Amino acid sequence: MISWMIVVPFLGIIVMAFVRDEEWIRRVAFGTTMIEFGLALVLWKSFDSTKQGMQFVERVEWMPTFNIQYAVGVDGISILMVLLTTLLCPLCILCSWSAITTRVRAFMSLILLVEGAMLVVFTALDLFLFFMLWELTMIPMYFMIILWGGPNRIAAGIKFVLYSLTGSLLLLLGILGLYLEGGQTYDMLVLSEQTYSSKTQFWLFLALFLAFAIKMPMVPFHTWLPDAHSEAPTAGSVVLAGVLLKMGGYGFLRFCLPMFPEASMLFAPYILWLSVLAIIYGGYMALAQSDLKKLVAYSSVSHMGFVTLGIFVFNSQGIQGAILQMFNHGITTAALFLCVGQLYDRTHSRAISDYGGLHKPMPKFVALFFLFSVAAFGLPGTCNFIGEFLVLVGTSYISFAMVLLSMGGIVLAAAYMLWMLQKVALGEANTKAVEGLPDLSNRELATVIPLAILVLWIGLYPGPLMEMMDASVTHLVSQMGEVQIAQSYPAVYP
Amino acid sequence: MPVFVLIPLLPLLASLILVLGGRRWGEHSHRIGIPAIGLSFGLSVGAFLEVLRNGPFSISLYRLFQSGSLAIDVNLYVDQLTVLILLLVTGLSGIVHVYSSRYMIGDPRYNRFFAVIALFTFSMVLLVMSGNLLMLLVSWEVMGICSYLLISHSAQRPSACRAATKAFLVNAVADVGLSFGIIMTFFTFGTLDIQTILGQAESMKDHTINIMGWMGLDMHIYPVTLIPFFLFLGAMGKSAQMPFHVWLPFAMEAPTPVSALIHAATMVNAGPFLLVRLSPLIVLSPFAMTFIAIVGATTAVFAGIVSLTQSDIKKILAYSTISQIGFMIMTCGLGAFAVAVFHLLAHGCYKAFFFLSTGNALRSVEPGHGHEASLHPPPKGMGILYGGALFLACLPPFILFSGSYEYLWGVTGFTSATIGFRIIGLMTVFVTSIYLFRSVTSIFVHGPKTYWPASGHSPLEPHSIRPQFLNGSILSSLLLAIILLGVMLTLFWSWFANFLAPALTYPGMSVHEGIVDSGSKIWLLVSIGVAIAGWAFAYSRARSGTQMVGAVNRSTRLYVLFWNKLYFDEIYDAYLVNPTIRFSHWLWRNIDIRVIDKVIHSIAIYSVVFAQWLWRVVDVNGIDRIVVGFGQQSVGMSQWLWRVVDVKGIDRIVVGLGQQSVGMSHWLWRVIDIKWLEQRIGQVGKQADTAGKLLQAAEPRTIQHQLLVMIVWLVLATVLLYILV
Repeated sequence: MISWMIVVPFLGIIVMAFVRDEEWIRRVAFGTTMIEFGLALVLWKSFDSTKQGMQFVERVEWMPTFNIQYAVGVDGISILMVLLTTLLCPLCILCSWSAITTRVRAFMSLILLVEGAMLVVFTALDLFLFFMLWELTMIPMYFMIILWGGPNRIAAGIKFVLYSLTGSLLLLLGILGLYLEGGQTYDMLVLSEQTYSSKTQFWLFLALFLAFAIKMPMVPFHTWLPDAHSEAPTAGSVVLAGVLLKMGGYGFLRFCLPMFPEASMLFAPYILWLSVLAIIYGGYMALAQSDLKKLVAYSSVSHMGFVTLGIFVFNSQGIQGAILQMFNHGITTAALFLCVGQLYDRTHSRAISDYGGLHKPMPKFVALFFLFSVAAFGLPGTCNFIGEFLVLVGTSYISFAMVLLSMGGIVLAAAYMLWMLQKVALGEANTKAVEGLPDLSNRELATVIPLAILVLWIGLYPGPLMEMMDASVTHLVSQMGEVQIAQSYPAVYP
Repeated sequence: MPVFVLIPLLPLLASLILVLGGRRWGEHSHRIGIPAIGLSFGLSVGAFLEVLRNGPFSISLYRLFQSGSLAIDVNLYVDQLTVLILLLVTGLSGIVHVYSSRYMIGDPRYNRFFAVIALFTFSMVLLVMSGNLLMLLVSWEVMGICSYLLISHSAQRPSACRAATKAFLVNAVADVGLSFGIIMTFFTFGTLDIQTILGQAESMKDHTINIMGWMGLDMHIYPVTLIPFFLFLGAMGKSAQMPFHVWLPFAMEAPTPVSALIHAATMVNAGPFLLVRLSPLIVLSPFAMTFIAIVGATTAVFAGIVSLTQSDIKKILAYSTISQIGFMIMTCGLGAFAVAVFHLLAHGCYKAFFFLSTGNALRSVEPGHGHEASLHPPPKGMGILYGGALFLACLPPFILFSGSYEYLWGVTGFTSATIGFRIIGLMTVFVTSIYLFRSVTSIFVHGPKTYWPASGHSPLEPHSIRPQFLNGSILSSLLLAIILLGVMLTLFWSWFANFLAPALTYPGMSVHEGIVDSGSKIWLLVSIGVAIAGWAFAYSRARSGTQMVGAVNRSTRLYVLFWNKLYFDEIYDAYLVNPTIRFSHWLWRNIDIRVIDKVIHSIAIYSVVFAQWLWRVVDVNGIDRIVVGFGQQSVGMSQWLWRVVDVKGIDRIVVGLGQQSVGMSHWLWRVIDIKWLEQRIGQVGKQADTAGKLLQAAEPRTIQHQLLVMIVWLVLATVLLYILV
């Protein structure tokens, strides 16, 4: 099942190689991603949310000399990420349908390639496989940025690659360390069952944490993000913000917490304060931006702060909130990038000051944009609220000061989003060109309306998603709890 | 019972239909909104009867989510408090719907308007019906966003957009308190269900939590003391209490019916409602109660005075609302929750009436006609109006002073505080009666003094001139209803208090039948006296007309101060908003770009520089030189080899061999077969000669190179061997 999901994008690329017509290339790509999404839904249907461990596990020997396997499987955490990936990729193709006119085949292949790679990353049970595909996700992104990007794309692309490579190097170090310390195996399930000495935990945690923190990105490793986001084409931004950033959070949950619980506890206070800093700092940064895409990019930094905050409080509310926040952030930020992309397609400008008064020519767009913006600052009733609320509830077990400061970050989020809306959507048009912009076409509506529905649906009925990850998170939390008791750590909880 | 789910659902459904239908509904939008709200009003009446007969009930809908110990169910709770406010909300919302179906004709965003006011109504209904704090928070915020949408209804006006953003942001700051209070509540009680919390509140009174535990310090707080305080912060935002009141006057940018909705039925009532709903929890915290009473009293007096200085009718009304809500909050802080609810209902009715008639009055005059130019003849029946307004405005104070709550004045235990609250109460009554007089006069006698572009388009447009009779009849029926309600409620005050009592049960504070009639009447008389004094004062001022303005101009800075609303807006802009933005820019330029990004960049630059240095020093100067030197040396060696070995050694041997063989062949020729061998040997000699030549001609460098490679490999092999062994 999962293998099929992994194979389909690559089959799609092969099929596309034989298609001449550009329109058909797009259709094939879209069809492939839709098949993927369908498969993901089937996977979700047949997923048993009461079980804690991995499901749909498939194992094949790959390089037996080094104990390397091809092993995939999903649990409650990764299936959400799989759903998110497969959900966003069709939208990426839809949004670049008319925006990408040159080298269509290459672009569509890159999207499919990155989709396939991300699916493996989220399902891999073998560290080597994980690492290989983790690396592979970087390459399509790099080409998307430098080939179809904005005016400053080369610098942004190089920055992205250098940052990612640094992260990968640390990841490789961590993985090799795990391989050596954990009994010469790359099997994640085996590795996460073992206990490591404090010193090993310390160093391996540090290496992996830095690798994931760069991907996440946490302050102060975030500066690649605004550049990469703002220069990438819309689809690239969507993939980057929607899914690639989640690889960092997923890494924390899959490696750092279960494998190095002791080191996690040790580092948690610093990470928590760093997260709070990221929330507020990202908010301030977003407030200072005059570029729409950069604003959304910095708001991602702020939202990712909530994710790390939730993960490192080690209780079920926090972790569930963090996972939900990852999912929701994927939806809302992707939707915001899609909206900005739709504006960019019309005027080729990302400056906030070039717009204004859009409510008149583009009422549908403004309605949707408004919905996503208020969702982005966590308005109750939209999806982000549930995640942020849970994270804050989880954090309240640790410190009320952090809760209050993070709420300050939410106020900042409301401020920058509403100011941005006021300048872009309301008031009078700043340029003549804006007055005559056409409203969303049917295809554009089809791109964002699914996300709008999800925003409200998750906001009003998050039950099914929460249920799906409940068992896995409970397992994770109990693992952490055991360590906490066994090591008799100073009371983290008041 | 489940049928009452429709009370919130119908407005939501109407809103959804209007949103999904988009502009297709056009001028027919009100045909969806009005029946929905009407029906939900009917159901509210049903709920009222149900509660009257069978007491409170709750409806469980579905489980929102469960995470660890945090389980949130979507459930509605309906008790006496809920039904009373439900009646107010749905009733007034219905009237506003009917009113705006005429008022908003010709508005390009007619359908959007109806969609949003339906959603607004829904959120308020959900707020009063919500059974847990999370739902309350959700509807609280949805209401905030609806107010944002309504204030920015005429989005082409920048002032409206600014006002909308301001309203939401002020509320967002205050809502930090509410959300934090809710999280703290969950932390303390382990649940968010309101009734469970209220039930446990008493027993949790001495519970402490250590908030500095993560630092290993001991700093214990009493959550039950702090929770009401934080929750009240949220209420301060929504109910426009000082210092969060700044958004409400700006909210006047919304069309007038919306103002009626905000001031009378929804939004600002959320604060007192929250306090009354959580009253059993709040009374446990004397600290919070004192704070609430002080904030309410300050706001009531401050806003009352400000409203006296304003010249704009809608601003007068806005500040009067702030003042009245402040009064309600103060009564809550004193523990007179029933009075607060009573005041809330009465205030809702007469404020809606005022706003709707203001809308009419604003529509009926054209801009540029000040009240001097168009002195409307006082309509008939003005006496009733004056009487009604006075009556309604002073009702709650009457009741408050009537004796049943006499003991409440001593809530803080200080005599000075008791006197202070008495004075404040009387001041509010005085001020209220003055500005009520003034606003009634300015609407119905003078007409509006300034034109407030509330509806977003000029009233000169032909479609804005519309038949008045419908609105007029609505208003008069509303007026009648208000007066009727007022009379009824006054007559049945004890019934009202008793009806509400079960919703407010907590030890020592419940109102029993019979208490109402007891107590001294002296304060009642005092308060009536004060009200009439204010009325007379205002009347005398109005008679002397321009003198008042003159006197005002002469008067102190105090007037200017209050006219400028104590400069709250300016102070916020100068010390809060602008510094935040400036700080964010500074942070971005100086920290993000100059520090973090620069560090990263300099890492990159320095690694390039290092690489270049490495290349120059190590690669070029070091390894290259070594290699080149090695190469030169080996060339030299190979040349030596060639000279010594090749030329002197091998060549000589070969040549010697050749000479020897020549000598031998000569010998053979001579000895064996001279004739046959002569040819052979000649050939061999020639061949040998050629071979020698070939050897000499063979490129010496080829050999050199081969040798070099061999030497290098040898060296390497030696090193390898050395390491291995």
